[in-house]
Amino acid sequence: MSMNMNDRHMSTESLTMDDAVTKDRVAALARMLQFGDSMFPIGGFSFSSGLESAVQKGVVTDVSTLLAFTRTATEQAARGDGIAVIAAHRAAMVGDVKELICIDESVYARKLSDEARTMSVRMGKKFAEMGVHVLGAPLLHAWRDCILTGQGPGCYPVALAVNFAVQDLSEHHTFAVHQYGVAAPILGAALRLMKVSHLDTQKILYELSEDLDAAYERAAKTRLMDMSGYAPLMDILAAVHIKAHVRLFMN
Amino acid sequence: MIVTGSSPWAAAEALGTSVPELAAFQDEPPQMKSGTVGKTGYLRLGFETRGSRTILAILERRVPYLAQRALYCDQEMPGLASIFLITTTGCLLQGDRLALDIQLGRGAQAHVTSQSATKIHGMDTNYAAQTQAITLAEDAYLEFIPDPIIPHRHARFVSNTQICVAPSATLLLSEILRPGRKHHHPDECFGATIVSLSVAAARPDSRILFREKLVIEPERFAMRQTGVMNTYDVLGNVILCTPPDKADRIFEQVDSDIRLTDGVAFGVCRLPNGAGLIYKVLGRDTAQVKAKVREFWRIVRKEVTGADLPPPFLWR
Repeated sequence: MSMNMNDRHMSTESLTMDDAVTKDRVAALARMLQFGDSMFPIGGFSFSSGLESAVQKGVVTDVSTLLAFTRTATEQAARGDGIAVIAAHRAAMVGDVKELICIDESVYARKLSDEARTMSVRMGKKFAEMGVHVLGAPLLHAWRDCILTGQGPGCYPVALAVNFAVQDLSEHHTFAVHQYGVAAPILGAALRLMKVSHLDTQKILYELSEDLDAAYERAAKTRLMDMSGYAPLMDILAAVHIKAHVRLFMN
Repeated sequence: MIVTGSSPWAAAEALGTSVPELAAFQDEPPQMKSGTVGKTGYLRLGFETRGSRTILAILERRVPYLAQRALYCDQEMPGLASIFLITTTGCLLQGDRLALDIQLGRGAQAHVTSQSATKIHGMDTNYAAQTQAITLAEDAYLEFIPDPIIPHRHARFVSNTQICVAPSATLLLSEILRPGRKHHHPDECFGATIVSLSVAAARPDSRILFREKLVIEPERFAMRQTGVMNTYDVLGNVILCTPPDKADRIFEQVDSDIRLTDGVAFGVCRLPNGAGLIYKVLGRDTAQVKAKVREFWRIVRKEVTGADLPPPFLWR
């Protein structure tokens, strides 16, 4: 009899704990969705990451080339900025602002196209400001002040990592949101630039998410100095866009 | 990169053990071991101005790297010291290490090229590694335009270039990468196991200008994928470090376009931190890429020195 009571008591307690964990998880998930949303007001929707030129020049013409183009963009992100996202998340978790500035500088030095720099810096600054306004954590204030006083250019991967770290969202989640943030705006731009349906772009987005875990495992083991890439045609598309006369997007 | 108290080519020997992309290829060749005499080459070239021309004031060499003497063969720039880099083994084999150190004193002007294409042979153990340190003092001008790199299938190659450039100096650094001997064997087109090319540039006060690390692993990342190489085979990657006013004038004169039917694509972007420009060319054939690189080189030389290019050699 007493055993039964004990059992019942324990199960109620664990149920409450489960509830608390689930609530925490749901709240974390909701915040991930909020800050990772492609319509989050930091201007991501005004960039096409080279797709505008790719469509104009006949590099991307249909669903299969759009999938391949977006895959190239996410692969490059996983080998480059994604590593910085993880490094910055680790630095933010221990409140190391000096290290964040170094990471920021490393990201900026690897952005070899004008418009890619503009995009990263503009989104990074807005994201930092938004974080201060919405969350107000001390580290977010410190990071925003670093950008405003010119101590760092304020690239987007660092801003994202700081924001997610102060909310205790894991580096794995931050990496995933960053990857999503590369693919979603390209596909959003595709709807406005070429003949492709919402159904197709959603299917592409879903398909690309399959690579996320493997990409994270690789990126989590890579040193910041080994950020790399290889997509020469993407680089040339960025250059073509700078000199283009008719432009709907900022890159 | 230079480790004190050790040989000047220590950086080339250390490079391959430090990069993750070569972690799986650390076994020693059954032939001559890496680092033995004849497999680690070193070349140090120091250019200085004397009167109206630039001389090769410092020349240190260790086989298989070799340079003979400065030639003054450029009719448009008679004071320009031209140097041909020679590797006496003719190619790069597994276990080879090359270290190149180029220094230009204030106002010196030089042109450095290679004697022929750099072939990187197929490998079943170890890898080939190369380090290049390029230092330019104020107002120096260097054109470093070697012939293409040809990585054969199963080649493993890593290259690291450290640039230190004074704010008023100009460096034109061109690299042309072929996909392999594409007419020799069907697996030769992008058949290399790994090609890793990194460049890091800084000012003399150590301020970082930019970094680029290209890692080509065709077995892991599809080369024909949209945005990577598509139907193109040859890459020209040209870095121009020059003061912002010159960079702006050059930028205005250079076109960016993708011509799928002609099989050529090219584009210019401004490097971060006011470092200069980067110009990339893709083509189906080396000749197309060389022609576009030459066009860019012509604009750069005219804008920076006021001189024209000499007519191209018939056999280059």
